[in-house]
Amino acid sequence: MQRLRATFAGDLGTALFSTLGLLAVGWVVILAIQSPRSLIATMVIGITDGAIYALIALGYTMVYGIIELINFAHGDVFTLGGFIALPLFAAFGIGPGAHYSLVFIPILLLVFVLVMLINGLVNITIERVAYRPLRGAPRLAPLITAIGMAFILEGTMYLWRGPVNLRFPDLISEARYTNSLIDIGVKDVMVVVVAIFLVVMLSLFINRTKLGKAMRATAQDRDAAQLMGIDINRTISATFFIGAALAGAGGLVYALYFNSIRFDLGFSAGLVAFTAAVLGGIGNIEGAALGGLLIGIIRALVDRYISASWSDVIIFAILIIVLVFRPTGLLGMRVPEK
Amino acid sequence: MRTARLGRVAAIAAFAIVAVACGGGGSGGSGSGSKGTISIGVDLPESGAAASSGLPTLDGVKFAVQKAGGSIDGWTLTVENRDDAVGGSYNADKGVQNVTDLINNNNVVAMVGPFNSAVGKAEIPIAAPAHLTMISPSNTNPCLTKDLSSCDYHPADLRKGNPNNYFRVVATDDLQGPAMADYAFTTLGIKKIGILDEKTVFGVGIANAFQAQYQKDGGTFKRDSFDPKTTTDWRAILNGFKDFGATAIYVGGTDDQSACKPRGQMNALGIGSWPYLGGDGIETSQCIDDAADSANGVSATTAGADAGQISSAASVITDYKKAFTGANDYGAYTMSAFDAANIEIQAIKQALDAGKDPKKVNDFREAVRVNVSKTSGYAGVLGTTTFDANGDTSAKIISVYAVKKEDAAAVAKGDLTCGKAGGSNASFCFVWVKQFNFGA
Repeated sequence: MQRLRATFAGDLGTALFSTLGLLAVGWVVILAIQSPRSLIATMVIGITDGAIYALIALGYTMVYGIIELINFAHGDVFTLGGFIALPLFAAFGIGPGAHYSLVFIPILLLVFVLVMLINGLVNITIERVAYRPLRGAPRLAPLITAIGMAFILEGTMYLWRGPVNLRFPDLISEARYTNSLIDIGVKDVMVVVVAIFLVVMLSLFINRTKLGKAMRATAQDRDAAQLMGIDINRTISATFFIGAALAGAGGLVYALYFNSIRFDLGFSAGLVAFTAAVLGGIGNIEGAALGGLLIGIIRALVDRYISASWSDVIIFAILIIVLVFRPTGLLGMRVPEK
Repeated sequence: MRTARLGRVAAIAAFAIVAVACGGGGSGGSGSGSKGTISIGVDLPESGAAASSGLPTLDGVKFAVQKAGGSIDGWTLTVENRDDAVGGSYNADKGVQNVTDLINNNNVVAMVGPFNSAVGKAEIPIAAPAHLTMISPSNTNPCLTKDLSSCDYHPADLRKGNPNNYFRVVATDDLQGPAMADYAFTTLGIKKIGILDEKTVFGVGIANAFQAQYQKDGGTFKRDSFDPKTTTDWRAILNGFKDFGATAIYVGGTDDQSACKPRGQMNALGIGSWPYLGGDGIETSQCIDDAADSANGVSATTAGADAGQISSAASVITDYKKAFTGANDYGAYTMSAFDAANIEIQAIKQALDAGKDPKKVNDFREAVRVNVSKTSGYAGVLGTTTFDANGDTSAKIISVYAVKKEDAAAVAKGDLTCGKAGGSNASFCFVWVKQFNFGA
């Protein structure tokens, strides 16, 4: 009770914020009492979708954090991950109709690594060609080249595989664990495990390695970092590489999860992931992961218990409320200091 | 539906031989040679990927002319056909150009076509002032003839103050939803359904029409809609339908948005065996592919009758296949085009009998138009046609197709819509199951 009073003693924003948060928690508690099984199933859907959003959001947030560019092409780099995987699978004799088998696991891991590598190299090239020459140019110029790159990537993927939904090999086991409360598939676990693994690795990389330190330094103050002897170009390239590698893994996870991918997927997924990055606080790695998860969970809850017609409305209304009272996002932004 | 060039060449050659043979005999029997030429214009997409739609339809018109003996009352009867495809798909501008061309041809007294509703929308304003009769074998957009509030254009605007010159021998899309509602409620016995639309004019419209009829039939529903641009996961929505107690889903949309992707996610939720129903927007290979492990159980409607299922059509189709022997010469709209051409031939004959002179082309076109508009109780291959004031046929037939596993021979024949993406879905095809007649 005391805490509640303290909450309301704050300014209007905090009060409104807390009220809405409490209402949301209350609603979820009611849902849990009504049917825990149904709520858990919905949360599983929300968390898996959210994990994929998070993997994309990380790339947006890293690039924005270091050069303040909204890399609109990032959503399409995500799709590219799935597209690159298809011929790689084909090279190992795995066609679109293939089904899960244990022997595929090593191939799968190898394809994961290759996709992340190729995707990273593609993104480095994009940065080199379309963004680096404009580093000193007015802000709008790289923004437009980013949009341009998005269309070029989409157009290339369209020319490559056409307008159809591409069927993806079904390489993850369909096995499910079910009891009276929980119903969870191997696929669900795979998505979450991959996402957690990559986010932890990223976090370790950024906080524990020399290059990670260079990235943080460049993000804080590029000029000072350069004066300290940090190779700015190399650092920025590394950022693009890692962002794209994560997005590529995300694209592959998405395609393995839903067994389908289309050339224009990046538009929708990218938009949602960018929203997630802003919601969590752009430039902030943990924020991007949190934002992705939140959006995934909110969407699943609204889809199931309210109406999918309202999903986008509610997600973006929440985004507006959060940003109005906390313009730097939930966990605060981390961008270059001026 | 697919094209094989050799078959086409053979068919045209066969037709030419028959035409020459018939030309000698003549049906008028006047013996004094032809009085001149009367032509039926045709505008269809006839090249590239669209050829599989247009060419079998064109052959239906040719077959009608052939059946008439290539002449009417001493006048030589020919087909003037134009291709409205550009780069392999239909093109409204090319259609307008073709119709202008046909109007400037003084032998052309009426036309069959076009194939696509969007082309019809562009052509009617050109043909109406010339009083040139158009009978479409395949346009199903209701807006071309009906003044509906959901339409973004209206028949009166298309005609520009001229009397109606546009008719069709197929039913309209607005009957697809009700037909599927009756099929779901009565035939499949589904009492509770989830209705999903993808927030497009077509999708919401067809889902609304389904919903209204399903409710009238006594069914209960839960409605939801998704934005195909931002939705990649439908499982929470589908679980919502499960909570509601639905045992099937109707989707208002087209496969090029995302109408069949929810189907692909149903298996993981243990509801992959539910019937998944929709309009002609999902009667496609893409839909079967998107349905992944749950292709079986998808059903779709199309506006129009399946000639292969009408017993009275059997002998005509047999005759046709003797004259047009290519594997792909027979298409979904061949018999519609045959009926359309025959209605025009009947109207031309009536005009000649009434003493109209085909050389006075404007008067003659108007006479044909008036005669066609009065078509009543015409017994064609696909049923009895009476045109209403809008130009719509009384034979309002909607066909229902369901996805079933077919054997390799049936798939190889190529006249079924089957999965394409490889894997097991290539043997799943849409197969005719039932038809509804709203005209009866």
